[in-house]
Amino acid sequence: MTKQQANWSPYDNNGGTCVAIAGADYCVIAADTRMSTGYNILTRDYSKIIQLADKSVMASSGFQADVRALQKVLAARHLIYQHQHNKQMNCPAMAQLLSNTLYYKRFFPYYAFNVLGGLDNEGKGCVFTYDAVGSYERVGYSSQGSGSTLITPFLDNQLKSPSPLLLPAKDAVTPLSESEAIDLVKTCFASATERDIYTGDKLEIVILNASGIRREYMELRKD
Amino acid sequence: MSIFEYNGSALVAMVGKNCFAIASDWRLGVQLQTIATDFQKIYRIHDKLFLGLAGLATDAQTLYQRLVFRHKLYQLREERDMKPETFASLVSAVLYEKRFGPYFTQPVIAGLSDGDKPFICTMDSIGAKELAKDFVVAGTASESLYGACESMFKPDMEPEELFETISQALLSSVDRDCLSGWGGHVYLVTPTEVTERILKGRMD
Repeated sequence: MTKQQANWSPYDNNGGTCVAIAGADYCVIAADTRMSTGYNILTRDYSKIIQLADKSVMASSGFQADVRALQKVLAARHLIYQHQHNKQMNCPAMAQLLSNTLYYKRFFPYYAFNVLGGLDNEGKGCVFTYDAVGSYERVGYSSQGSGSTLITPFLDNQLKSPSPLLLPAKDAVTPLSESEAIDLVKTCFASATERDIYTGDKLEIVILNASGIRREYMELRKD
Repeated sequence: MSIFEYNGSALVAMVGKNCFAIASDWRLGVQLQTIATDFQKIYRIHDKLFLGLAGLATDAQTLYQRLVFRHKLYQLREERDMKPETFASLVSAVLYEKRFGPYFTQPVIAGLSDGDKPFICTMDSIGAKELAKDFVVAGTASESLYGACESMFKPDMEPEELFETISQALLSSVDRDCLSGWGGHVYLVTPTEVTERILKGRMD
């Protein structure tokens, strides 16, 4: 009997792209709704965006089974927080919790690439961007997932975030108005969909501002 | 790591209204170490025909020498310059000669054809031609360039707008690629003139 080799992987990549943009008094979080594996499309209508708290919204690409497990842990931890403190967690606290949750599985990571968007305690837009093991940073805008290599240089070009090394530190929020930011996100995804096979079908945009949360959708190419 | 990513490069060509532009970065590296910051990747075949070579620099230079040689023979025999379409077929044929031991380079060809119609084209290392109407990209920054060009390109741009667009696309793309950058080199070609411009960029 020849030696058999294990060729099973606990991971898959379901693709997808996430973008978030922080403004002075709003935050836009967007992701496409395609879920794929290899050359197959599993579904054209899968939401990658979840509301973790009143003012915290997370979009995740990568392996959606891990993403669901991660969302479940975060929901449970947030419920405990609500019972202990009798309030919703704020966005920077949720950002730290997400980091800790990812790092907890440092040696068997969640294969999830997240962007967390929301409003901070002053009502300013905030975006946190992560790697799979919880390294995170507060930024003005971010793109994650399969289309990030296509979208990031364009966002750099349009938004030119100040370097985090600058002294004195500059605010990372973008100068755009809310409607301009939404239009920019739509442009980004329309372009990424042209070249990335894992991005497409539909774009889901979540907008957080002082008056609450709202969702918008835009059709994308289905091929 | 792929041999195509040994030296690092970013190449892009775009079509405008009766004109075209071709642009590249300046860096020559050996993996992560930068060797030169004034390395030319765009070659002028004649006044209305330009060739960009991304990929392994040594193969790019060798291939360029062979193509110049072939183009000179053509000029002597035909007493005229080669059309871009013809030149693209020549490049393709020269590459396919080495089908099982290829030049590790991805060419970008841009020229003005008969009636000053812009022509752009790219191909893989063994000569499979890809003719495009709008823009073509090549090199280690190609993914970034696809994203940038896809969102910045408009059809039928005038020369100055085309220059601005290709420059913005190149500079924002190389800033997200470790292996290319250190400024840009842009040729803007119209039926009447060739403009060469040097772009300053981030030096990291």
